[in-house]
Amino acid sequence: MVQNLVLGLVYGGIYGLLAVGIVLVYRGSRVLNFAQGEMGTFGLYAAWWLSTEQGLPWIVGAAGAVATATIIGLAFERFIVRPMGDQSRLAVAVATVGLLLFLLALGFRAFGESPRSVAGPIRGSIEVAGVFVSGTQILSLVITAAIGVALAVLLRRTDFGLAVLAAADDPTAVRLVGVPLRRVSAFTWGTGAAISALAVLLIEPTVGVFAPGFASELFVKGLAAALVGGLTSLPGAFVGGLVVGLLEVFVTDATLTSSLPGIPTLSVFALILVVLLARPQGLFGATQTREAA
Amino acid sequence: MDEVMRRRLTLLAVAVAVLALPPVLGRMGLLSSEQGFVLGRGACFAAAALALNMVMGYAGQISLGHFSLLGVGAFTTGIITGADHLALPYVIAIPVSAMAGAAVAFLVGLPALRLRGLYLAIVTIGFAYAMQASVFRARAITGGSGGVEVPRPLINTFQFLRNGDYLAIVLFVLLVVWLVDVNVTRTRLGRAFQAVKASEPVAASFGVDVARHKLLAFVLSGAFAGIAGAMYAPLVGTISASSFTYNLSLVLVIVVVIGGLGSRAGVVAAAFIFAELPELLELFGEGFRGTDQVVGALGLMLAVRNHPGGFAQAMRERREKKAAPVEGSGAGIPQLSALPRPTAASVVPVHGDVLEVSNVTVRFGGITAVDGASLSVPHNTIMGLIGPNGAGKTTLFNVVSGFVTPQDGSVKLLGRDVTTLAPHARAAAGMGRTFQGIGLAKDLTVTENLLLAQHRLAEYSAGEALVGIGRTWAVERTLRERAREAVAALGFERFEETPVRLLSHGQQRIVEIGCVLVTSPELVMLDEPSAGMAPGAAEDLALRLRDIRDELGRTVLLIEHNLPLVLDVCDQLTVLATGRVIASGTVDEVARQADVVDAYLGEAVPA
Repeated sequence: MVQNLVLGLVYGGIYGLLAVGIVLVYRGSRVLNFAQGEMGTFGLYAAWWLSTEQGLPWIVGAAGAVATATIIGLAFERFIVRPMGDQSRLAVAVATVGLLLFLLALGFRAFGESPRSVAGPIRGSIEVAGVFVSGTQILSLVITAAIGVALAVLLRRTDFGLAVLAAADDPTAVRLVGVPLRRVSAFTWGTGAAISALAVLLIEPTVGVFAPGFASELFVKGLAAALVGGLTSLPGAFVGGLVVGLLEVFVTDATLTSSLPGIPTLSVFALILVVLLARPQGLFGATQTREAA
Repeated sequence: MDEVMRRRLTLLAVAVAVLALPPVLGRMGLLSSEQGFVLGRGACFAAAALALNMVMGYAGQISLGHFSLLGVGAFTTGIITGADHLALPYVIAIPVSAMAGAAVAFLVGLPALRLRGLYLAIVTIGFAYAMQASVFRARAITGGSGGVEVPRPLINTFQFLRNGDYLAIVLFVLLVVWLVDVNVTRTRLGRAFQAVKASEPVAASFGVDVARHKLLAFVLSGAFAGIAGAMYAPLVGTISASSFTYNLSLVLVIVVVIGGLGSRAGVVAAAFIFAELPELLELFGEGFRGTDQVVGALGLMLAVRNHPGGFAQAMRERREKKAAPVEGSGAGIPQLSALPRPTAASVVPVHGDVLEVSNVTVRFGGITAVDGASLSVPHNTIMGLIGPNGAGKTTLFNVVSGFVTPQDGSVKLLGRDVTTLAPHARAAAGMGRTFQGIGLAKDLTVTENLLLAQHRLAEYSAGEALVGIGRTWAVERTLRERAREAVAALGFERFEETPVRLLSHGQQRIVEIGCVLVTSPELVMLDEPSAGMAPGAAEDLALRLRDIRDELGRTVLLIEHNLPLVLDVCDQLTVLATGRVIASGTVDEVARQADVVDAYLGEAVPA
């Protein structure tokens, strides 16, 4: 029970991180980035090359992962999203599907299907009152919390952060603060990708191995978490992550002997349906007002 | 030989060719078994592409789980025809698979499509993973083994084992799907879908129930996908969870975007090409190995960036530019010289006020946009709603037409309380409105917009429209006739087939007013009609506003900044300032009130 709780928190934190990336981009550009997860997977390949292949310390690999994903995010924003300007959100969302397929295809082309792994930063695990927690999992919780706090401070205490928060609601206000909108846009896409890379990097040792497409299913859970939080709320994204993580761990535990496979995945889908039916604005989202064109 | 007859003969010829050619060519050795298989797969992908095109190309909603819907149809067919299962005839499997796909689409789409935004994409991703990881692996469906064996159709003792023979069936089913799709685009269904894609508020203002039509598009799409699955399963023979993955759904998105969102022929062609090319086909396998996929996906991103509407729209735009009757100089812009006549004799006896707004309050966050406003518009009058910018005029308009829900207060139309009605229901109850940003589906032509505007007069059922029977074509002819009359009355014959977005702002405004009047609503609400019109047009506008009152016998609520126009045509005025009604009455009464002159009239006419 307690063991599951801890595992649920670890997974939940990771899903929360992915959800934060999704929410940042959604707030900045009013679009869902369907390639969010795979940007992180690409970072993972950089980490694998640096720390597993070259034998450099984990932290170097982690830096490489974050840098790689950030570059992908920034490049996509600069060369696809920004030129599309005010085009329909449908078109921009389709472009991110294009990016997802591009990253999948490039991943298979460059690395093939064979599974790889990146060792965690801290080896071994500790036992507290019969509960086992690995060092990486503890680090994962610490980093998740740190990112949460850092984002909260950056977004609420700086002019730039306030501009990011205001961008989706009121572009004029952003200009009044003196922050160019394109810098806000670049920030959300870059940060979203960087956070994804960290999330994927932190979960990889718990899962074991990875291949192209590794983050696709993680992304679905991040999306569910973002939805639970209301799609626009950053604290909501973390809470949503915990909801999804705990749900998944406890459902897995309860259905280990079931003859129907994949019930945890099914439960995430059910969660999405329930949220949309019962509380589409999520736990923290603003209520939607109907407005004219 | 008339048009209808010729179309029927063409159709018959195509149907015969589709049924006869593959088996004959196969037996003559001109169509190899391999080619038959690849073409059959192309036909299945084409049906799937038509399915996705319905929801994405027409209605503008993203689905990222369409191959899972296809899987629902395929497994349904497997269960119905499989030797280990029910072993029923294939003829039953097709409609049942269509219904299964439609039913699942209904359940998946219902929670998401009530809302605005990308929610369908989120739900369908979750759906795709749930099916892939769980349902398609369930023992009850797979029977415990890795996959389900699906036999080829059997008639008496003849089984369609040759690929050429089975290809005939697959192509015939594709033809049927195609024809249903044609019926969708030629009736109110397709127009409503496209209006929803263009702008949900605009669609609602024409009486389109937005949530219902988004769901309808997705359910139809599910039925098409179910049929595609029913075609696919016997073709490949064995199906399993890995036949219908999330990645395949993404590839289908590429097919539809590259083929051209909303272009029937384009997406079908793209589907066949994807199924033909062995390199591209690896996309449909387990992995994405080749360099071609990398280049293809990169191409997709750039294509979407440069042509967000897909290649079909890009090509259409190029054609339009060549043949554009576009003005620019302003020469020959119709001056709203006449109005479309209401052909329907829908004159209802009206007692008392047409519109009664009582104590309406609207708050956005901490800001009170409308503060306890009341107004009543007597039958057959022109009421002007004036006030400085930000006074809450348009918000009040939105409350009356149902786009903003007030925190307090009520709205009565023709004595009936409509406060809780959705915008499309209010349109049906007898109000029509324009928008500051032009309430038209701008990618549609002038004629198509006038047809769309008559949505609520298209009194045939969705079922009749899909099959193309019953009242459908008779009603459509009436609508078309009325649209033609309206075009003539507006003097827009030259622009009949021109997409609205190519017209000038003033021309668009005239078409918009024409669209509102074509169904002759009891209450006509115009939001700054003179904005963007040619300088001399205001006088014509004044004449036409009087025509609406005197000749059509309708009632007008008018927001207008052109004060001389307002003073000229309005019978009554209501003045709003910071959300409150500060004066109301006849033009003379209002003009006498000192605070009004201060608040608004003073600054507008410094006299």
